[in-house]
Amino acid sequence: MTTFYGLPGAEAFWHWTTLVHFLLVALAGGTAFYTAVLGIRRAASARGLAWLALAFIVLDLFMLWAESPARFRFSHVWLFLSFEPASAIWWGAWGLATSALMLLLLALGLGPARFWAGVLALTSAVVLAYPGYALAANAARPLWDHLLLAFFPASGLLLALAVLVWLRPAEEAAPWLQVAALASLALAALYPVALASGGADARLAFALWLRGWGWFLLGGGLLFLAAFLARRAPALAGACALAGAFVLRSWIVEQGQHSFFVHGF
Amino acid sequence: MARYAMLIDLAACVGCAACAAACVLENEVPPGHGRLWIRQRELGAFPDVTVEYRPEQCLHCERPPCVPVCPTGASHQTEDGLVLVRAERCIACAACIAACPYDARFMNPAGYVDKCTFCEHRLARGEDPACVETCPTGCRVFGDLDDPESPLHAWLAEAERVDVLRPEMGTAPKLLYLNTPSKRGLANHESEVES
Repeated sequence: MTTFYGLPGAEAFWHWTTLVHFLLVALAGGTAFYTAVLGIRRAASARGLAWLALAFIVLDLFMLWAESPARFRFSHVWLFLSFEPASAIWWGAWGLATSALMLLLLALGLGPARFWAGVLALTSAVVLAYPGYALAANAARPLWDHLLLAFFPASGLLLALAVLVWLRPAEEAAPWLQVAALASLALAALYPVALASGGADARLAFALWLRGWGWFLLGGGLLFLAAFLARRAPALAGACALAGAFVLRSWIVEQGQHSFFVHGF
Repeated sequence: MARYAMLIDLAACVGCAACAAACVLENEVPPGHGRLWIRQRELGAFPDVTVEYRPEQCLHCERPPCVPVCPTGASHQTEDGLVLVRAERCIACAACIAACPYDARFMNPAGYVDKCTFCEHRLARGEDPACVETCPTGCRVFGDLDDPESPLHAWLAEAERVDVLRPEMGTAPKLLYLNTPSKRGLANHESEVES
């Protein structure tokens, strides 16, 4: 039996507002990436979508600032006055900022649009990638496995496509949605395997995953439906993808932060 | 430059938490949070029973995982090996809390991440950290690992065993536990506790 005098810092450090950010940053990064791909092919077709991606970025950045306990200390300026390439969040800050600039230039039709779209493809890929990196970098949190480096970009793109099939001509986005749903589903299926074959904490991580397997059944089922319906009923497929990807990502973020060190099993 | 470290002799620690109380008073730690706490753990089964009183706090790791994840440089390591937070730079993103394997960090309600500093303000005055100064059993010692005159070396030489928390994390902690009561050493998880 273990008891404490005093309090270790083991309480949850990311809350529901952070889960909303994980959703918004996926919509921002995914929409920006889709805009970039369209823009590289045919620059003019990306202008409308650029405004939408920019709106998602602004919304996400506002959410990030608003939910931060440091919001009225205005310390966020240091994100852009520091050079911290080992920090996923530093990459995210710059990825979002540079993507916003590229999107603004694309939306306004200023300068070489296809070049901006090419740059945007890189910066938006950073935005898609950094949430998974921010999780996987923490060896102390065994649920945040390295597989998330792939799952978060894939499911992030899927979340954006889930919205885009409603807003864009469905036949354009639906094939992408199907591929992203299948990729996310495959990675979600591999996730418990990766946990169980991980490092010293693999047994604990897998045991914790077993407590939440029902969420994976639900999320995985929704992703399967999304892939199955993508070309038949894109709007419904989008709803399934949005719900499925959100459930899986939120579970991983929420559960993964719990301290194994203090709670054990 | 120094390489500051702390030793805690668990054979002498009685878990009175005077160190934790001294820390709260010295550093004005906000209510509901702690820079230092005591883990009390019953080990073994009758008649072979022992209790481990284990004060825990920031270990000021030589390779602190909380530093590289910080996006603003607020979380940093000094030349003397202290791991500190520049509150004015902290955006309270909690990346460092996520990275710390020891639950040593918390969100100060003032909007920045807080943790043990080894009482750097006292070190600057040539004093020991408050927890060391107040310990009634004298089970703590603080010093410079690079200083051959430091009492750390005598304590280490006389210890029956030396343990660190979660060595598998590769963090090279500079808070070391001497003479752990259990012959199995420090348990990381409840499931490892002898029963």
